Amino acid sequence: MAPIIRITDLTKKFGNVTAVDHLNLEVEEGEILGLLGPNGAGKTTTILMLATVIRPTDGTATVGEYDIRKNPEKVRGLLGIAFQEPKMLWVSTPWDIVNWHAKVCGLSTEERKRRVKEVLESLEMWEARHRNVHALSGGMRKRVEMAKVLIQRPKIAIVDEPTAQIDIVGKHRIWNMLTELRDEGSTIILATNELYEADVLSDRVGIIHRGKMLVCDTPKKLKDSILGGDIIDIQLEEAASPDIFQELKKFKDVVDVLQLKPFNLRIYLNKVEEVIPKIVNMLTKKDSPIVSLRMTEPSLDDVFVHYTGLTIEEAQKSGE
Amino acid sequence: MEANKLLFVVERDVRLFFQYKFLIIMRAIWFVSQIALFGIIASRLVAVPDYFPYYVSGLSVMSLYSAAIFIGFDIYEEAEHGVFEYLLSLPVSRRQLVLGRSIGGGLRAFIYVGPLIAVSLYVIGAVNPLNFLLALFSLFLFAFGVSGFSITVAVMIKSSDRFDILMGVLDALIVRLSTAMYPLAYVTQANPLYGWIANFNPVTFASDLFRWGTGIEAIITLNNPLLPLLGVMLFFGVFMFLGTMIYDRRIEGGGWQ
Repeated sequence: MAPIIRITDLTKKFGNVTAVDHLNLEVEEGEILGLLGPNGAGKTTTILMLATVIRPTDGTATVGEYDIRKNPEKVRGLLGIAFQEPKMLWVSTPWDIVNWHAKVCGLSTEERKRRVKEVLESLEMWEARHRNVHALSGGMRKRVEMAKVLIQRPKIAIVDEPTAQIDIVGKHRIWNMLTELRDEGSTIILATNELYEADVLSDRVGIIHRGKMLVCDTPKKLKDSILGGDIIDIQLEEAASPDIFQELKKFKDVVDVLQLKPFNLRIYLNKVEEVIPKIVNMLTKKDSPIVSLRMTEPSLDDVFVHYTGLTIEEAQKSGE
Repeated sequence: MEANKLLFVVERDVRLFFQYKFLIIMRAIWFVSQIALFGIIASRLVAVPDYFPYYVSGLSVMSLYSAAIFIGFDIYEEAEHGVFEYLLSLPVSRRQLVLGRSIGGGLRAFIYVGPLIAVSLYVIGAVNPLNFLLALFSLFLFAFGVSGFSITVAVMIKSSDRFDILMGVLDALIVRLSTAMYPLAYVTQANPLYGWIANFNPVTFASDLFRWGTGIEAIITLNNPLLPLLGVMLFFGVFMFLGTMIYDRRIEGGGWQ
């Protein structure tokens, strides 16, 4: 099946600054694609170009069957965006904002009323629907911004840092709603700098750094792509003999073995789930009982470090 | 559906304007004060017969002008809060968006000034219904024209402070060099150049037509209402077209960023 979004050499320059640099990407219909990168990586600029809000300097993209340069109106008809910063005038009320948005997006009166109530209630914004935006907290404003997309249910939803400034309960609620939106048929592009959010929500994650797409794959494959990324910490009853040390290093997928303390070993390896039974078996045969065993998979943070050479916090600072 | 979208854009601007309750109330107080204080007192100083109703009708047009200008300030406000990006991301064509804003800016000014016009009519008294309808129509066009004018200037000037100052200066020039507050004969008497400029001023057209429609044209000797009507139509046409075109170009060129 053809991808619903195909980005080809998309580039945006602001003066001498290249915000997005020959970006190539395909988004499959019905998936949640996470765009992971620090602030200033080029995520929002990419989104604005896809939404035909700003024009690319070079390259293009097709959304559905429409080119963003040639058919911007048709493209906008397929999209719904929740912006990073809530876009609303302070004299407006949540009700005005989402109700008008639903109208412009073509929802029938009955459907509009039903969905506006439903979504505002689930985001706990129903009570505050007639309060002026200036009286709302940052998190509440962010929820109103999200409500627009959830009410619209577009074919392609773009959400830019959807849970920034939102408490942990609210985050989970929005994540569930985004998953439901995907399950109902929407394709979702999730721009985020929250590693956990990208990990739990995304079917695939693309890492953007300094305007370039470094890698894009499923979170599992990205983690597996780090050689020796899996870690096993083993505590033995007795100090590990040199013989055990050598045996462990012989396993095909073991990359390194460290003795942290006389009884504690740390093993860096790949495909932990395949190797662990073999290690346990070997230790049993060597009569070296295990006190405890802990497995750790690499996180997306590790993946980010692997591809950029920086933690996301460092990348954020270097981009500022 | 497409026409609906245009209406939704218009509706948004109209609703938004009425959210500025403080501004509306203050403007209304200003209008009533102008009539109750300045109008009554100044009419005793001025030798022009029936200056009071003359002033009240001119004040209505001036208020309409000020309210229609307000759309330009909205554009800055939206750019500042990022609402522009939101509007541009909607499934609405650029033309619909621009045209809707010009119409919305004019319409809301007209709705706002409507009650003030009613106050004027009460003060002025006699009304010729047919003439009044024509005058009302011309005020409609005038409001849309001013709205287009405000959008044109707003998108050409990037700083809201400069826009504010420029509009203040333009307001002083455009309103003072018109017949909003004094009959043309007096303007010309003061300086023939002033009179010549006032002759082609859209505020003059709107003020004269309103007075003609409300039946106090005697003191302005408006022989042929067709000329100011054509003037208002031209003003409306030029600035609706120009405002739409420039706004459209600025959007496409990213000039709002």
